[in-house]
Amino acid sequence: MTVNGVAVAFSVNGVAHRLEVGPGETLLRTLRERLRLTGTKDGCVEGECGACTVLVDDRPVDSCILLTAALEGRQVRTVEGLSGDGALGPLQQAFIDHGSVQCGFCTPGFLMTLTALLEENPSPSSFEVREALDGNICRCTGYRQIIEAVAAVTAESTRP
Amino acid sequence: MQFHRAQTLDEALDLLGELGDDALVLAGGTDAVIQYLAGEIAPEAFVHIEGIEDLTTVSLNHRTTLGPLVTHRVLATDEVIGAVHPALAASARTVGGWQTQAVGTIGGNICNASPAADTVPPLLVADAYVTLASRRGRRRLALMDFFLDRRQTVMDPDEMLTAIDLDPLPRGSGEVYLKVGRRGAMEVALVGMAVRIGFAADGTVDSARIALCSVAPTPRRVPDAEKALIGSRLDGGVFDAAGEALRAAACPIDDARASASYRRRTLGGLLERAAIQCREAVTS
Ligand SMILES: Cc1cc2nc3c(=O)[nH]c(=O)nc-3n(C[C@@H](O)[C@@H](O)[C@H](O)COP(=O)(O)OP(=O)(O)OC[C@H]3O[C@@H](n4cnc5c(N)ncnc54)[C@H](O)[C@@H]3O)c2cc1C
Ligand code: FES
Ligand code: FES
Repeated sequence: MTVNGVAVAFSVNGVAHRLEVGPGETLLRTLRERLRLTGTKDGCVEGECGACTVLVDDRPVDSCILLTAALEGRQVRTVEGLSGDGALGPLQQAFIDHGSVQCGFCTPGFLMTLTALLEENPSPSSFEVREALDGNICRCTGYRQIIEAVAAVTAESTRP
Repeated sequence: MQFHRAQTLDEALDLLGELGDDALVLAGGTDAVIQYLAGEIAPEAFVHIEGIEDLTTVSLNHRTTLGPLVTHRVLATDEVIGAVHPALAASARTVGGWQTQAVGTIGGNICNASPAADTVPPLLVADAYVTLASRRGRRRLALMDFFLDRRQTVMDPDEMLTAIDLDPLPRGSGEVYLKVGRRGAMEVALVGMAVRIGFAADGTVDSARIALCSVAPTPRRVPDAEKALIGSRLDGGVFDAAGEALRAAACPIDDARASASYRRRTLGGLLERAAIQCREAVTS
């Protein structure tokens, strides 16, 4: 079987990329192995756990089951894009402050899904937070600390 | 393998016409990419259709028309769609997590022809039709006649699903989708049931449609169970008779997730719950 490279142009964290990728190459692989953005994790690699969540045009998607060739013209954001100039974003800081990170493997995925949620709905109820996180699995924390971190960030932003 | 991006329906149909058997349509990829990565499918080419704007539209009229690229997320969250298609919206909410709903499409859910496709029972109770197009022409057929067997449909290799049309919920009717799984989220249906019931002013059932998934190789309506409810007030022994009809229509599989007898036993109780919820949805 012949494999033909596919030219694809898209941006990652605001930086434009023009790549030639294999037609079956996943975005997870492109990010980790070509662009060396290893914050995005490979867990189940079948769309079940959310460790590989990134934002494509502001929507959370599992990068392990998304073909890079399908991303022409799209904007991708990864966990590396959440901190600017070495300073952590507010959600990242809240995760640290509330003990929401144990082994940390699931953390980048949770941060990306929650970033999408907070952009869409700046003051979600705890039910809405849980519902948004249906596709993110954490084996360590039991989720409570994660929900608390979100509550802390939303309380911060709605304080007069 | 090759990867083709189609920007218009014409381009996609040309590609499928040329490549036929060797090509596979790729929409959100939440089924196709997993199957490809697992080595279950090995197409010579993907024809990527996600960029075809015309296939993302929703039009609400005396019939609702959905483009095949409408995502589960849109079905799950759009308030206008939710008001006239509450069971369809509820079914989309049960598909995977946000990540899956954000890219997974209704067209892909139908064309993948899984026995457990959650959006199909609500479409069946809304009397859905599908339009298939190819370079050779167009045809429109009842969704019920689209499925041949598990993962098999009447669609030819050069054809594409281009539209789904269905009845909005009429006044005086209620509809629900109930899914039995082992946990709340991220679960394939053990049994999925959509019910749409129309009530006369005195509360008598004057129309009933019931559809199931995950109980047989293809999703299906159950006319005998529907007949058992019509003319009743959802009391007396109607659920015994209807439950019997559901069990007869179901030929569920035994697998690691649940036994066939568990799946069959849940059917009568599930219908009773669904029918009561339909009535509450009307009167409230
Ligand atoms: C973690 C996870 C959980 C899931 N949970 C559920 C669940 O609970 N319930 C459920 O029902 N599904 C579930 N799914 C599957 C669900 O996401 C898919 O069925 C989805 O709707 C398919 O849409 P897609 O756009 O991703 O299709 P694709 O994967 O792109 O395509 C699926 C198939 O349909 C064909 N196809 C797609 N569009 C067309 C078209 N317009 N014309 C012709 N052929 C076409 C493709 O060739 C392919 O064979 C889950 C998936 C994942 C990854
Ligand atoms: S690694 Fe992608 S969902 Fe698990
Ligand atoms: S912190 Fe370990 S999996 Fe979530």
